[in-house]
Amino acid sequence: MYKKIIGILLLSLTFFTFGEMAFAHGERAQQAGLRMRTLNWWDIEVTPKKVTVNEVITIKGKFSPSVWWPKHMANPSERLAYLNIGVPGPVFVRIDSRVNGVPMIRSTHFELGKTYDFEIKLKARTPGRYHMHPVLSVHDTGPIIGSGQWVEITGDQKNFENKVTTLTGEVIDLETQGMKEIATWHLFWVAVGLAWMFYWFRKLPVLMPRFKEVERLGPLHANDMISMKDMVVGVVFFGGILIAIAASYVWTQNQYPVTTPLQTGEVEVAPLPGQGDVVQIKMLDARYRLPGRSFKVDLEVTNNGDSPIRLGEFLTANIRFVNRDVMGDVQPIDEQDLIAKEGLVVDDNLIQPGEMRKITLRAEDALWETMRLTSLVYDPDSRFAAMLFFFDGEGKRYHIEVGGQMMPTFS
Amino acid sequence: MSTEYLPGEVHDDELDPNEIRYVEGAVRNSAEQLAAYKNIDLATLPLLFLLFGGISVFLFALTVGDWDFWMDWRDRRWWPLVTPFSLILLPSVLGTFMWLKFRLPMGATFATMSFLAASWASRYANFHDFAGFPLNFVSPSTWVGLGVVLDATLLISRSFYFTGFVGAFLFGLLTYTINWPIFAPFRIPIEYNGTMVTVADLMGYMYIRTAIPEYVRIIEESTLRTFGEAVTPLTAVFAGFVTILNYYLWCWVGHKISVSRWMNRII
Repeated sequence: MYKKIIGILLLSLTFFTFGEMAFAHGERAQQAGLRMRTLNWWDIEVTPKKVTVNEVITIKGKFSPSVWWPKHMANPSERLAYLNIGVPGPVFVRIDSRVNGVPMIRSTHFELGKTYDFEIKLKARTPGRYHMHPVLSVHDTGPIIGSGQWVEITGDQKNFENKVTTLTGEVIDLETQGMKEIATWHLFWVAVGLAWMFYWFRKLPVLMPRFKEVERLGPLHANDMISMKDMVVGVVFFGGILIAIAASYVWTQNQYPVTTPLQTGEVEVAPLPGQGDVVQIKMLDARYRLPGRSFKVDLEVTNNGDSPIRLGEFLTANIRFVNRDVMGDVQPIDEQDLIAKEGLVVDDNLIQPGEMRKITLRAEDALWETMRLTSLVYDPDSRFAAMLFFFDGEGKRYHIEVGGQMMPTFS
Repeated sequence: MSTEYLPGEVHDDELDPNEIRYVEGAVRNSAEQLAAYKNIDLATLPLLFLLFGGISVFLFALTVGDWDFWMDWRDRRWWPLVTPFSLILLPSVLGTFMWLKFRLPMGATFATMSFLAASWASRYANFHDFAGFPLNFVSPSTWVGLGVVLDATLLISRSFYFTGFVGAFLFGLLTYTINWPIFAPFRIPIEYNGTMVTVADLMGYMYIRTAIPEYVRIIEESTLRTFGEAVTPLTAVFAGFVTILNYYLWCWVGHKISVSRWMNRII
C-alpha cells in the first residue's frame, strides 16, 4: 500500500519536474473564425524588452474591430469594451493607458471597421520573464487578445514604490495604504470576539456538561442555565459593541473627512481618420484547402491613388502572412512571434494608379495547423476576415479589411 | 476450506457460554470523566473552527465572490446588501444549534471568527502571496463584532424571534458602518490622468486583473430619486430587513438539523 502511495507521489512529482511551463493566454483556445473576425491587431511594439523594478515599459500598436464580427457575439460598438493587459497578475502596475490619446481608466465603445491607436505604460513590479498581450475585453463576449511579446524584469520587488498624491494633498504609497487601519480594526474586533468566546469557555469542560444539562432540564426550563452574570455580560457586550461601532465611525470621519464613492463611468473615444478610398477591394472567392494548409482568395482591387500598389501582408488571427517580395526579410521579434515570413504569394501583384485588377493571394504556412486555424471549416457560418496591407511606391501603407464567405476544399 | 487453526486465533467452540465476563468502562471516576469532557472540548472546537471556516469561505466565494475580494468592488449599493444576506447563513444555523443543544450564545461569533480566520488565510496565501496583489487591496472585511451582537441579542432575549428582529437587523444594518474604518482610507479622491478616482479605483486600475475588466463592476445603474446622497443608509436599512428574513429561514434549518435523534444514540 505504502509503495503504491510513494509511487503515485513520485509519478506526480515528474509532472512538476519535467513538465513544460505554461505561459499561454489562450492564443489558440478560441474558435478559429472567432479569432479571425473579432479584432485585428497590428504594429504591436513593446519597448524596452528588459527593465528593472520601477522602470517603465510601453506597449503600443493599433487595432480595428472587424466589420465581419460574428452576429452571435456582442461587439464593442453595442457593448462596453475595456483595454486591458494579459500578464500573469500584477507583475506590472499600469500607470497609463490611452486609445487615440484618451485615457482608458474606464470603459468605452469602439466602432466596427474603424482604426484605433493604443498605448499602455506599465511600471515593472515583480522580477521575472513574462509573455504579455494587449487585451480588449468586450462585455458579454470576454477578452480578445492581441499578439504577445516577451519582457523581462530584473531587480528586487522590495524596492518597488507606487506613490501618488491625493486631491487632499497627501502623498500615499498604494502598496501599504490603509494597512494600519486594516490591522488595527481587525485586531480590535478579533479581541472582542475572543473575549466573548473566552467568557463562555473560561472553564472547561463546557460542551458535554451543558449538553447534558439541557437534556435534563428540557426545552422549557433550559433557559434557567443562563445566570444573571451571563445577562449582564451580554448587555455589556451588546451595548459596548454598538458604542464601539459608532465611535469608530466618528473617529474615521474625523480622520478622513473627504471621501467619495467608488467611481465608474464611460468615456468616449473617436476613431482615427480613415485613409480615404485609395485602395478598394471586392472579394470574389475564398477557399481553404485543408490538406495544403492554404488559403486562397480572389480579389478585385482598385487603385485610386497616384502610385502603383502591391499587397505586402495578410493578417488574420494575429498571424502575419508576409509577402517577401514586398516586405523583404521580416524577422520575428521573439520565438513566439507569429510570422509566416514567406507565407503570402500574390499573382499579378502590381496595380497601377487608376487600375482595377483581379488578383489571387495564397496564404500558406504550417501556422494554420499549429495555431488551430484549420478548424475554421467546423465553424457554424464558414466566414473569415483578415486585414490586407498594400504598399505604394513610396512605402506608404494602406490597410483594408477583407472578409466574407469561405469554401473549404478537402482534396 | 482449511480447518487448521492459526496461532492465537480463538474459535467459538473454545468459548465457555457460562463464563461471566465483565466489561470495564472507559471512564472509571468523575475525574476521568471531567478529563474526557475537556478533551471533547479541545478536540471539537478547533475542528469545528476549521470546518466552518472552510465552508463559509467557499460559500462566500460562490455567493459574494468578487464583491468582497477586492477593495474597489465594495461599493455602497450592492456590497452592503449582498454580503450580510449571504453571511448570515452560518451564524444563524450554528447559533441555533449551539443555543438549542448547549444554551451557548456563541454560534454567530464562532462562525464569523472562523470565517475571518479562513478569509485571511485565503487572501494572504492565494491573493497576496501567490497572485501578488498588495494585501491592503484584498484584505477581508470584518464581521466579528456583528456576530457577537447577534449572540448577545439571543442571550438577552432568549428568543429567536426577537434575535432575528433586532440582532439580524443590526447585522445587516451595521455591515457598512463597522467596516467603514477599514474602507475609508481607500475612498480618498485622486486626480489621475484627468479622471477623478478613489484610491481603491486607482488600485483596481493599476494592479492588473486580466480577467476582470473595469466594466464588470459598474455600479449604481439606477437612482434613488428622492433621497439625495443618502444611498448607504437606505441600503443599510434594506439590508437589515432582508437579513432578518434570511436569519429566520436559516434558523428554521438550524432547528431541523438540531434534532438529536442520531446524537442520542451516540452519547
